[in-house]
Order: sequence, then structure tokens, then C-alpha cells
Amino acid sequence: MSRSPRSPAPRAQIQTHRGGAPYWFLAPYLVLTTVFLLYPLLHAGVLAFYQTNGPRSRVFVGLDNFAFLLADPVFHKALKNTTIFALCSVFLQLPLSLGLALLLNSGNSKLKGFFRLVLFSPNLVGQIFVGILFGVLFTPRYGLINRFSQALIGWGLEEQWLGNPALVMPAIVITALWVWVGFNMIYFLAALQSVDKGLEEAASIDGANALAVFWYVTLPSMRHVVVFVVVTSIIGSYQLFELPLALLPQSNGSGPDNSGLTVIGYLYQVAFAGGDLGLGAAVGWTLAVIIFVISWLQIRVTGVAAE
Amino acid sequence: MIEKFPYGKAPFWLLMVSVLSTALLIATRRPASAKPDIVFTTFTPLHAEAYRRLAPEFERAHGVHVSVQLVHQQGLTSRLQNALLAGTAVPDMVELLAGTMGYFISGPLRDVGFTDLTEHVAQEGLREKLVESRFSLWSSRGHVFALPHDVHPVALMYRADLVEALGIDVSKLETWQDFVTMGQRVTRDLDGDGVIDRYAIDLPLGGSDGLLLLLEQRGVGLFDAEGRITFDDPRTVATIIWYLHQTRGAHRIATDCGWGQPLMKAMTDGLALFYVAPDWRTYTTQTDLPHLAGKMKVMPLPAWEAGGRRTSVWGGTGLVITKASQHQELDWEFAKFLYLNKPALGQRFAATNIIPPFKDAWNLPEFRQPNAYFSGQALGSIYASLAPSTPSVYSTAFYQLATDKLNEAFLRGAEYFEKNGDAGLEQVVRRELAEAENYVRRVSERRALVMRDE
Repeated sequence: MSRSPRSPAPRAQIQTHRGGAPYWFLAPYLVLTTVFLLYPLLHAGVLAFYQTNGPRSRVFVGLDNFAFLLADPVFHKALKNTTIFALCSVFLQLPLSLGLALLLNSGNSKLKGFFRLVLFSPNLVGQIFVGILFGVLFTPRYGLINRFSQALIGWGLEEQWLGNPALVMPAIVITALWVWVGFNMIYFLAALQSVDKGLEEAASIDGANALAVFWYVTLPSMRHVVVFVVVTSIIGSYQLFELPLALLPQSNGSGPDNSGLTVIGYLYQVAFAGGDLGLGAAVGWTLAVIIFVISWLQIRVTGVAAE
Repeated sequence: MIEKFPYGKAPFWLLMVSVLSTALLIATRRPASAKPDIVFTTFTPLHAEAYRRLAPEFERAHGVHVSVQLVHQQGLTSRLQNALLAGTAVPDMVELLAGTMGYFISGPLRDVGFTDLTEHVAQEGLREKLVESRFSLWSSRGHVFALPHDVHPVALMYRADLVEALGIDVSKLETWQDFVTMGQRVTRDLDGDGVIDRYAIDLPLGGSDGLLLLLEQRGVGLFDAEGRITFDDPRTVATIIWYLHQTRGAHRIATDCGWGQPLMKAMTDGLALFYVAPDWRTYTTQTDLPHLAGKMKVMPLPAWEAGGRRTSVWGGTGLVITKASQHQELDWEFAKFLYLNKPALGQRFAATNIIPPFKDAWNLPEFRQPNAYFSGQALGSIYASLAPSTPSVYSTAFYQLATDKLNEAFLRGAEYFEKNGDAGLEQVVRRELAEAENYVRRVSERRALVMRDE
């Protein structure tokens, strides 16, 4: 088959003509990313070596911001609180999400869609709303949770969930469970529905009980989703900010004795309330490194990246 | 037409959406209203209403247009702080909440975005005309940056019907020791279910404002007049231990009624008999709990020692003029018009129960008016009599940090007290306060680098 010697010319012309078009369509994204992501990132890298009062006054302090941070007991507390929250997310929230997903996946009830909506719906409201709502539920003496726990176990009527340093983190975790369990359940449910039923049936025929089928067939089949949910949950946990802020408004989200202070809450306090953008940038970069290392370790350990 | 578009269907529709949305924006654009000469922003609906009523008189007198804006307090503070630091548009005049001043003075004086009012205050003799102690809250490094709106003296508000039924004579509660003796008598589990149903007083379990105002009543706050932190004071240790005894343990007399609806319910139920009440709180109480009309009264705070100070201070609002404003003198005239306008201050008190710092205004009839809600007491006279002895509160860039650290020390003391009781408590509180003080000092020394005016 021969090609007309004249035919490539108009196509080349069109291609030349269209050559710049994709870049124009990409331009808004590229400009926004450069202005609002890349430039601030680079600028924050520089800023981390300065002590500032907003953007106007700055003094070069070298590594002093990082040195201060590593020695600051308040930052240690924020990091500890955030890590506890992240661990609760992984070891409490995700198993609950998976359990609910298994329950919803097991039956053929017409109510499945209804329960899916009910469990997911807390995620439709903002965290500020959730914070305000649970602030009322945790009210000593009159709050629903206090009254419920008093009726159930004879404890808690006058407990200050949001005023007692020992109870603040449990209160945040309980609130977060209500919000996020349903959200992660949707991921697990989608993964469960894509598991090959033939494999599960084959395992059952071979004599595997329900637990063995789940452990040796179902769970490995949804490994990618599990790793994704764990990684995003940990990243989300280390970025926790609005929920404690709304739950503990009297203390700007830090709670009594900083018991509800998170790393981002600490960043907000030093950078925006305190005006030291340099120290804030150092906190941001430190957090970025922590999240990167944890995520990298997870992906390495689970071997997902190699597949 | 779509097929002829050289870049395909998707780009065609993207282009159409952009053209249509731009056309819609242009078509629905409203003509811009004339820019006001003064943009005044406050965070209190009551203030906004009062100023909107007053503004036309000022506008007529000066031939200008004033716009009074209402913005939520937290949003106002953070947006104003960021706008000032970034050099973007800000209102000409702003009312700030006490305690937020530190956010604006955390750099060198040249970075403070507010006009220095020190000379204006001196020229008008305002230190003599207003309650002098209120200027400290709005000053930094010897410069006054705001005009105080109020005094906010603190008294005790109580359920007179219940207190009188219990045979308590409040005139005999002269000291906190008298109060505690009475409190231990009335704090009771009334139905025998193991839960206390009646407490003497509402105090925040976490310390915070309740503890701070008691420290200030005792003459010791967070900072002294030179901006030095003052945690290392035997009165601070003694007050913390006293507070712990009243809020925890077998002999406690206080409960934490919280805020908002839980507080309203507690007051209605008579869960606590007495409530710490700055002037502003009397107004919110009479508005939110109309069914307690005629059942409430106020009394001065008990003193720490016989003959001592019978009040403290809680909260406050100050008016700043931003440096960015193009007509500073006009702004100052408007500030005086709002804050030193004697007849208007009488009306303002009648509408809010808030005592202005302008002492001349206290003689107005509105201040002597009996208040039916508070069993016919003349709230204006009671609070005005307390106003001159309100303690000074010194503002620094580290005010919030110091408040947080004081609370940390208090809560660690509380944790120790709940586990071990009084044995060794004083040493623990002293040690925690020393650590808190060191932390604030370390941060302030570090920040000194960037706060220097060169």
C-alpha cells in the first residue's frame, strides 16, 4: 500500500497547528501548581532557616528552628498525640471499617444500601460540625455520652471528656471513629466485591473454614486496597487539625495540658497565631519527612511497590 | 459545529463553559457602591447594632459615610493578623477581644499594624478620664495601641431564691474563707445516689479564666508592668492549691457548669448557687434565662483577706485604628464619638449592662436604674463601684503562651493532688510553675531576635 506524497503535508500542518494546544489546556493546572504548591514548598524550605514575624521581619537563624523543635516538649507532646491518634486509626478504626464492610457484604438484604448510606453519612458533614456536635454529646452531666455511660456502666456522668487531659484523646478518637469508619468501609466494601468468588468457593470446597477463607484468600486479594487505606489513614491522621480545633475551641484545639494538640495544631499555633512562619516551615518539613518515612516503610514492608 | 472545531469535543465544551460563565458573571455584576470613608469592624452583634444607630449622627456632622461590619471574633482576629502581616486591605477601625493583642505585637514595633494612640490619649487626658488600669491590656512596650471599650469588673451572680431559702446571708461572705465555709455546708448529694446535686459555685475544672481572674484579684497575674513573667510568686502557688481544694476531692464546693446550653441548664436546675459574673455575663444571663427573672442577684467577690479587693476583671474589648487607614484624625474623632459620648454610653449600659471605662458616665441615671431581673438591684451602681479597683492586666506577645503554660502547671498539680492529696503538693506546684516560667522565658528570649526595633 502506497501513500500519496501529498497526504502527509496537511496532517503535519494540523499537528503543528495543534502542537501548542495541549500546553494551553495544561497551563491552568501548571500555573496553579507552580504558584500554590511548588513555589510555597521551595519558599518554605528557605523560610525554615529564618525566624520571622510574618513575612515582613526575618532573621537568619540557620538550623536553630529545627534544634528548638527537637528540644521542645510541646512539639514532643504534639507528635506523641498525633502518633497515638494514627495508631488508633490503624488498629481500631480500620478493623471496624473492615468488619462493617464484611457484614454488609455477607448478606443480600435490601437494607444493605440503607446501612451503607447511614454509615457513610457522617462523612458528608464537615469536621467543624462534627466537633460542635460531639462537644455537646460530651457535656458533663447533661451530654448523651455521659448519660449513656452512666446508665450502662455506672461511670461517667460528671466526667469532663474535653476538660480532663486523660480523656481528651479518647474523645477525639471516638469522634473520629464516627466520622471515618463508614468512609473507609466503602473502600473495603468495593474491594470485597471485586474478590474472585470462585477462589473463595474453591477454598471452601477444599475444607477451609470462614476464617481461613478470609485470611488466606479474601484478605490477600484486597491487599492493594488495604495498603492504600492504611497509608492514606496514617497520612490523614498526621494531618489532623480541624476536629480538635472544633472539639476544643476554648484552647484553640490544644486541649487541657496540650492533651489534644496535634502536629498541625502546633504548626498553626507557632506560625499563624505566633507569627513565626520560619518555625512553622520547619514543623511542616519535619512532618513531611515523618510521613514520607512511614509511608515508604509501609510500602516496602508490604511489598506492594514491587508488584 | 462541534465536529468542525479543530481540537475536539472536550475542548469545545470547555471553551463554551468558560465563555458562558464569563458572560453570566458580567451580566449579573452589581454596580459597586460608593466606598465608605470609614470601615469599622466589630465582633459583637450588640456593639454593631449600637454603632449603626449612632453612626448617622457622626456622618451628618462630618459629611462622611461610615460602614459598620460584623465579623465572627476568631475569623476577625486571624484574618486581620494575616492581612496586616501580608500588607493587604484591612478595615480602618477594628474592635479586638482582650487577650488577642499578643497576636499583633509579636514583632518589632514598626510591624504593629495599629496606630500608636499614646499621644492622643495623653492630649485628651484619657488616663484620668478613663479607668487607668484598662490601658495596660492594650499597650506594648510603653505604647498604647487601643482605646478600652469597657471595664468588665467581676462580681458573683447567685440564685437568690435558693440562697435565701438556705438561710445564707451574703453580706457575711466577706472573704473566700467565709465563702468556703458556707460552700462546704451547702454542697450536697440531695437524693443519696452518690452524685452531688448542689454545689456552692461554678468554677472551670481546668483553671483557665476562673483561676486567672482569682490570681488577678490577688494582685498577681501573668506578667508585671515591665512585661516580666510572674509565675514565681507565693500567691500564685497558694491560689492554685486553694483552687484545687475547691474543685477536687471530698471537700470540693465547685463544679464546672461549662458554657452555653449546659450552663443555662445548670443555672435553671440550681446545680451551682453562685456564678462568677463580669458585667457582660449578667446581660447574657438575663437574655438567655428569662424564666429566672427576679430570682437572681449579684454581690461583690469575696476578698482574699478582710478589707481586700472585692473584684477582678474578665475579658475586654479595645478599639484600634489601623495604620493603613487614610484618614487617621477622622478615625480618632469617630473613636471618641463612640467611646466618650456620655448620653450614648448611658443607653449602651441600659442595652448591655457593660460598664464603660469613662468615669463621668457612671453618674447617668441609667446606671442607678433598678434591674428587675436581678431582684431590683441597681447593677450599674454595683459594678461601677467595683470598677476603680479592677486590677491591671499586662499584655505581651506571649500572653496566650503564658496562659497556656499556667494552665499546664495547674493541671499537673491537679493530677498530683488527685493521686496523692496534699502531701508534697506545694513542691509539685512550685516546680511546675518554675518549668512553665522557664519555658515562656526561653521562647521570649528566642523571639527577642525578631522583636528588636533597629
